[in-house]
Amino acid sequence: MFKNFPLIVKNCWRNRRRTTLTILSIGASLCLLGILMAVYQAFYLSDGAPEQALRLVTRNKVGLAATMPQAYEPKIKALPGVHEVMVANWYGGTYIDDKPEHQFARFATEADKLFTIRPEMKLSDEEKAAFLHDRRGCIIGKELADKLKLKDGDRMTLIGDIYPGNLDFTVRGVYDAPIDNGVFYFDKAYIEEGLPDRRKGNVGIFYVLANTADDVPRIEKAVDAMFANSPQETKTETESAFALSFAAFLGNVKGFLMVVSAAVTFTILLVSANTIAMSVRERIREIGVLKVLGFTNAMVLGIILGEAILISAAGGVIGVFLADLLAAGLRHGPDYMEQLHTLHITTPVAFLCVAVAAFIGLVSAYIPAFQASRIPILSALRNTD
Amino acid sequence: MSETKLSESSEVVIRTNKLTKEFIRDEFHVIALKDVNIEIHRGEFVALMGPSGSGKSTLLHLIAAMDKSTGGEIEVLGENLNRLSDTQIAHWRNVHVGFVFQQFNLIPVLTALENVELPLKLTNLKKAERLEHATTALKLVGLGDRLGHFPRQLSGGQEQRVAIARAIVTDPQLILADEPTGNLDAQSADDVLTMLSRLNKEYSKTVVMVTHDPHAAKFATRVRHLEKGELLPEGVTTTA
Repeated sequence: MFKNFPLIVKNCWRNRRRTTLTILSIGASLCLLGILMAVYQAFYLSDGAPEQALRLVTRNKVGLAATMPQAYEPKIKALPGVHEVMVANWYGGTYIDDKPEHQFARFATEADKLFTIRPEMKLSDEEKAAFLHDRRGCIIGKELADKLKLKDGDRMTLIGDIYPGNLDFTVRGVYDAPIDNGVFYFDKAYIEEGLPDRRKGNVGIFYVLANTADDVPRIEKAVDAMFANSPQETKTETESAFALSFAAFLGNVKGFLMVVSAAVTFTILLVSANTIAMSVRERIREIGVLKVLGFTNAMVLGIILGEAILISAAGGVIGVFLADLLAAGLRHGPDYMEQLHTLHITTPVAFLCVAVAAFIGLVSAYIPAFQASRIPILSALRNTD
Repeated sequence: MSETKLSESSEVVIRTNKLTKEFIRDEFHVIALKDVNIEIHRGEFVALMGPSGSGKSTLLHLIAAMDKSTGGEIEVLGENLNRLSDTQIAHWRNVHVGFVFQQFNLIPVLTALENVELPLKLTNLKKAERLEHATTALKLVGLGDRLGHFPRQLSGGQEQRVAIARAIVTDPQLILADEPTGNLDAQSADDVLTMLSRLNKEYSKTVVMVTHDPHAAKFATRVRHLEKGELLPEGVTTTA
């Protein structure tokens, strides 16, 4: 087979326009398949960031819009294996206007616990101190700061919607973190000041930090068991699973990804099969000549399959390259889908894409290649197509 | 392999015994060859002549094991071809037979050198050795300066000479040519026939050539005629 590789390459390149278009069409399909695979991996197969391994999120079992009493906080913290618990409420509001560039996640939280719960946030001690000592202070992710062109000391105002009134803030720090780098945090006490008593003490989610990874599954069950049959039952899950629940808002994402992947794969199969069938039909006579020279049926089969695999694999490599470029664009996707922010065409996904392409080439070409390899010499030589 | 031999004679290169080829085309039963008995000896240059449909090409294809007979026996270079598998026949053909077509049948995406190298890819020769052999064969047919040319860059006569180089590059004992001059002008045809004659005389190759052309047949050492699938007695010619 290796001896015949130059012949395989030259055969692939005999109709340059068709081969180029085939490679590009397979590349485009594989780009989509690569992205789908990468999204699937990020959503369902990734372990999440290392920082997330010890964190759980507890929310009202009814849904994210329902709250829980803050009185749950000490009860959760009292559970074995729990290192810290922090309240976080989705603030909502509007910054300047409703334009997409002004949309970002805003959380009212317990400032004094934030850096314990999220140790991966990098900002200077001075910034931390400034934030902790200023109830109207806020910290923002570097990505967000760059987008909004904000820096330490800048002032900004959020117009309330879920919570009444407008809130003025001073940027006290710009943090850098591998995940959630576009989030705005401020002290929950600031909004509690202006709330009526009946709205105080309501919590959207609790972030729970476990002592060890082994404690995580036990805490997950213990928290929900503790509040079972209460007016506000809870649902506790790992931070990765919690983030994934946002994707579920889009519907059956897993099913969607699999169906689209299958459709893409089938499309490539047809494209490749069509190309190989045309290519084989055009040179039946040459196949007869090869056999006269002593090439066996198996060798002819190998040469044709080799061409199909080479063309498909080339499309696969281009597809992976395009998918990597596309993934770079998707990393700037919506903040609420943090999996997208770390979307990469990993080496296993890249290899899988090329392998899928090569396999499709093999499968699609097998029938025309097999038929061509079995054609009697004289029938092949008499072919006039 | 020895039990497949019909004869121990080393002089006889091709021997057929009541060789028959029948096939059904649509509803018609066609007898392409009927009870053909022929012996061709080592070093002969035999021309098979006859009108269209006389069975001369069918006989050549059976000698080259490109087709299977439906009756009788055929022994070529000591092998009973009816008893070899497809894979054995492919290997046998690569080693022992060089075939020259009327329409040259070069691979268009390969250069002259690569076309000639092609049969050697089935041998154990290294790349450098293959190229050396292919170059030698091309020089032998007078195309040492056309190694890198593609078939489309060559004249018909040059293409046929490349095809001859491809046929002889494995140093086969038997060269089979099916109307090798059918697509050539008179001068190129003479060149090709001279070359086949040289291969026969100087390199002791056994050559079997199918031709319509009496002029081409003059290059052969023996001429046999076929008519309606039957081999005519030695010296008897067809009326066509």
